[in-house]
Amino acid sequence: MSVVDLPKPNTEFPKLTVPNGLGTGPIPIAPYISQAWYEQERDRVFGRAWLCMGRVEQLPEADSFIVKEIEICGVIALITRDAKDQIRAFHNVCSHRANLVVHETSGKGSRFVCKYHNWAYRNTGDCIGVPDRANFFDLDMKKCGLTPIACETWEGWIFINLQKQPEVTLTEFLGNFGEVFRDAPAPAATQAFTVDVTSMRANWKVTIDAFCESYHVPVLHPSTLGDTFANDSNRYARPLSGNVRGAHRTMTTFGNPNYVPPESSLIERLAYSNIDTGNTLGANDAADMQALQNHPAINPNKVPNWATEICWLFPNFLIFYSPGGFFTLEFWPLSVNTTRWVARMHTPVAADVRQRFQQEHYSCRMAEIFLEDVGNLERQQKAMESGGKTEIILQDGEFLLRHSIETIQKWVASATVREALAE
Amino acid sequence: MQMQTSLPASLPNSLPAGFEALEPFVEYWAGATNDIRWDRRARASMAEIRSFYEAAVPRADEGLAYLEQFPLDAMPDDATRLLRLLLSLPHAAMAVEFHGQPRAAASPFPHGMHIGRGPWPQGW
Repeated sequence: MSVVDLPKPNTEFPKLTVPNGLGTGPIPIAPYISQAWYEQERDRVFGRAWLCMGRVEQLPEADSFIVKEIEICGVIALITRDAKDQIRAFHNVCSHRANLVVHETSGKGSRFVCKYHNWAYRNTGDCIGVPDRANFFDLDMKKCGLTPIACETWEGWIFINLQKQPEVTLTEFLGNFGEVFRDAPAPAATQAFTVDVTSMRANWKVTIDAFCESYHVPVLHPSTLGDTFANDSNRYARPLSGNVRGAHRTMTTFGNPNYVPPESSLIERLAYSNIDTGNTLGANDAADMQALQNHPAINPNKVPNWATEICWLFPNFLIFYSPGGFFTLEFWPLSVNTTRWVARMHTPVAADVRQRFQQEHYSCRMAEIFLEDVGNLERQQKAMESGGKTEIILQDGEFLLRHSIETIQKWVASATVREALAE
Repeated sequence: MQMQTSLPASLPNSLPAGFEALEPFVEYWAGATNDIRWDRRARASMAEIRSFYEAAVPRADEGLAYLEQFPLDAMPDDATRLLRLLLSLPHAAMAVEFHGQPRAAASPFPHGMHIGRGPWPQGW
């Protein structure tokens, strides 16, 4: 086929960049490779934003706890649920000689004991035990509790804020996103299979950006995803809708409604032959998915051939809703050019062995896709650092990336959070 | 992380009766966790992957039908072994049906990516 024979792009795809009030110029590369910029992000973005820690279901019952590390700020957060189901966060640091109190990453316990000198704490943070207390000097145990971290929940999502006194409430921080995504369902939230990368060599924004545009999908993932995210009516995988929502942003991506596994893909066909998944890439029951599709903010234009609603919670947390379920991705900077990330894929507990088989196929496929991204992004980081370019160019379908970097630039430049959040 | 990994992998007659032809594949392909099954496939040659795939695909539907008689989280050892063997088929299928080679082109290997927990109810 010669160039002149190519069909014209479908002009019905909505414009996203200009209508959302964003610029159209090139984006500087410095924020992706500069140590000085990284330190600004540490202080002004991660040090001041409400950071999503995940779902309340990760604390499944009274006295559950999880430990989450925010490496860029050097913080190790102990998040607890007490007997009255109140969720709190603390610095996981002993009041005696500042050792780490809890070593596990998750578990159950109403009290925590530091393994150095047996100082003990309740999961409400109170210090409840100091061995040989009489040998200290005027020790006031009321002042020896774990140091709290601001912690709030919204619709089952846990957030912390590392400012001693957060400048804005979580509600103010979430803004329009919090309003329109109220009551969004979280099917199969009680369990997830997880894919994690302990350290990859790419800036955290390079990494998260790759999950927030579909322009690359037919190119980078041709065999694992390509035919499911594009077809002749949308060969460049243009988005179906997109909205800036305060500091946050959402986008609906296209799914090929005609995708069926090819005849030669015997196992892919077997995995999907017996279950009405509602989506080739999903592993959930179609009935559970209807509530997602009915939510007004998920695929807001109610386009039938949608694949995902990407919700990008500023700065580093993604929720993907799709006809096949929901999953989250979180990206934690370790240094200017290394990132840790975790995917939590929420699928129901398999009811039978065929559903379990399908879920194995789904998990395989997702891991393959993620690994293709890892290789690609490490190459991109190296190329960015080579100095061959000083700017990148973004197209309309990459508007989420533009809003992300514009928002980060605004937070870095703003003296206060309220100023950063101002329209 | 606590996972059920203690099954002896390669006893004679380790699979349920009727699946003896798949015995030679148990030791390598009946990996105990999703992450192990993924890693084994990634390290195998295309000839090894095809050999397993071609032997196991014709028995897959029959194997799943056999396993349907047991609760997923309370299978006898030989059935669990068969399940783990069959669960390697989707991994092999990534190579055979998607990539045409053991691993995706230009994907790094080795790499720091892990499947921490597999699908439920087992979590492996």
